[in-house]
Amino acid sequence: MQPLPQALPAPGPGGPRPAAPLLALLLLLALRGSAAAPAGSEGPQGSAAAPEGPQDSAWQRDSELPHGLLQRAARAALHFFNFRAGSPSALRGLAAVQQGRAWINSKKECQVDLEFTTEHYNPEEGEERLGKCSAQVFFKNEKPRPTINVTCTRFMEKSKRQQEDYLLYKHMKQLKDPLDVISIPDSHGHIDPSLRPIWDLAFLGSSYVMWEKTTQFLHYYMAQLSSVKQWKTDEDAIDFDYTVLLHEFSTQEIIPCRIHLVWHPSKPLKVKYHCQGPQAPEEASGIEEGSAAAPTTGLTNY
Amino acid sequence: MQGARTGGWGPGLPAVDRWTLLVCSFILAAALGQMNFTGDQVLRILAQNEMQLSLLRDLEGLKPQKVDFWRGPARPSLPVDMRVPFSELKDVKDYLESHGLAYSVMIKDIQVLLDQEREAMAKSRRLERSTSSFSYSSYHTLEEIYSWIDSFVTEHADLVSKIQIGHSFENRSILVLKFSTGGSERQAIWIDTGIHSREWITHATGIWTAKQIVSDYGRDYILTSLLNTMDIFLEIVSNPDGFAFTHSMNRLWRKNKSNQPGIACIGVDLNRNWRSGFGGNGSKDNPCSETYHGPYPHSEPEVSAVANFITAHGNIKALISIHSYSQMLMYPYGHSLEPISNQEELYNLAKRAVQALYEVHGIKYLYGSISTTLYMASGITVDWAYDSGIKYSFSFELRDTGRYGFLLPATQIIPTAQETWMAIRTILKHILRHPY
Repeated sequence: MQPLPQALPAPGPGGPRPAAPLLALLLLLALRGSAAAPAGSEGPQGSAAAPEGPQDSAWQRDSELPHGLLQRAARAALHFFNFRAGSPSALRGLAAVQQGRAWINSKKECQVDLEFTTEHYNPEEGEERLGKCSAQVFFKNEKPRPTINVTCTRFMEKSKRQQEDYLLYKHMKQLKDPLDVISIPDSHGHIDPSLRPIWDLAFLGSSYVMWEKTTQFLHYYMAQLSSVKQWKTDEDAIDFDYTVLLHEFSTQEIIPCRIHLVWHPSKPLKVKYHCQGPQAPEEASGIEEGSAAAPTTGLTNY
Repeated sequence: MQGARTGGWGPGLPAVDRWTLLVCSFILAAALGQMNFTGDQVLRILAQNEMQLSLLRDLEGLKPQKVDFWRGPARPSLPVDMRVPFSELKDVKDYLESHGLAYSVMIKDIQVLLDQEREAMAKSRRLERSTSSFSYSSYHTLEEIYSWIDSFVTEHADLVSKIQIGHSFENRSILVLKFSTGGSERQAIWIDTGIHSREWITHATGIWTAKQIVSDYGRDYILTSLLNTMDIFLEIVSNPDGFAFTHSMNRLWRKNKSNQPGIACIGVDLNRNWRSGFGGNGSKDNPCSETYHGPYPHSEPEVSAVANFITAHGNIKALISIHSYSQMLMYPYGHSLEPISNQEELYNLAKRAVQALYEVHGIKYLYGSISTTLYMASGITVDWAYDSGIKYSFSFELRDTGRYGFLLPATQIIPTAQETWMAIRTILKHILRHPY
């Protein structure tokens, strides 16, 4: 990753001090010999571009990108993209971030504009095709559910994608009851090819959850599909109730989430979920059992 | 058999032994032909409050008995495990659901589990006596690895020996392989894998690397020169208790298995327990957290064993600590953004090592200091090593970047080990040329 020039400090806790950073910016630009320009005019490649990003003067270009911010923004954008596309056969994974810029305001909200490449989540043998996406990701101050605008180059012909989805759908309707399956992948990372569609569908539902939970500091991976609670295919759609284990990277925590989705190819995906909250440490007054303790959030039936 | 009423975290058998004891008793009972557990399930319930706990206790009090607690209702947020005979399943699940008690199926069919355990136990008696039939492209259990170590040391006794440097919290041996062509008090390289038990690709890479070292000696000029003047220490299972737990109960377990009286959660993050920036922002003092640093530096036997060994040795010149996942090669510090004095040298070395890695299978690694490349992490091995005077302190994060994460398919073991070896070899070459 190329380090971006250290220019403006982020706004301090005392609130915005427009004068000082603006002065610093002007000084910096003057030193660089370029004409004074609004913040955000220089991309990481060094080429001047028309100012993008928020026009509101409360925003300042954040050149000291918090480490990994671009990657987190790209992953959030992809989770959102995958969820919105609702297509288990056309899932995309992050290949590489190409460039990005970030702006931060006095409320510590953060907007990231970026471009990145993607690859097919389930590549065919020898398939190397890369897609391209550009996205605007708006993180609220440490609150989840970033707002996302994302467009990607067409990866697969629409008709092909629909065809693959229908094949997947038919395959899933014929699957023997997978309630026996305890985990996918198994401990050795193996996914039985016949169960692959279940993983893909589970990942699609998890994409919704992972998008919603991502903040500028927290980002998630789907570690394992840990149980299938219900798998109904007698109706038109696939009704899938399952638990996944999400891995949050910066805290290294494993978060179980119960997800219930309803999927039919070419219809919008419906997802409900509940994730387990963090476990609180408890001290017993002795080693006897049964002492009253503060309740912690846990799995609830919904 | 009446399930033992095992509530809370009081003194007694550690969880592993308790579980084994229960399973063994079941096997005994089944073997005597007296009991059949087909279709019986073990359910795990997380009660949220005292009221729910008492609902569970009511279940146990029913006559005739419908359930049998393997881990009884103790306090909210501690899981309750109960065996439910097949004939009672519907009634019990209805009871739980109607009272809003969330449960998950821990064991879908006890009889199946017992049959598997019995098979495994029979198999372990036939454990391989040589390493030629050991599969380097599979993941193995602790027993299999320890057995392989013994065979490996026997087969390559001219070059390799086994050292026990201590015991884990649950009293398992902590083993280190020493590669040496002789001499005494030679300078040495230290490599460790498996400090975080769920990172299975690291143990597998360690095992393959051991094999690579013995086969490269006499064939590869760098490795041969190195071993002619220096020793290599390789600790493959740095967290044996955690590793055993990833096989028996929780594949995604990270920490060790230590527990303190009165504390509900177990385990300390062994890579936050070192005496360097201990307790800083890149760790947590919450025992339930995955990055809990423990009560004080080197409180954990798995850490103190290594720290004491390295300190007593006094002549370790490089320390390479191997983790997964993220595809990164990094150097200190993790606890601070402040660059180390040897930053430039280590940066350039990392760059070359990563290039050598890339040339094997085209896998891209990031590189840099831990705090700027990965995240802030306090009390980590490599920071301690560097502060102890070990200039060449590196940390690897192996494949992948999240697609499979910790559950990396076994088919990627050998490619990962091959490319990692080329990076390690680059580092070894540099050390040979830059003694200190």
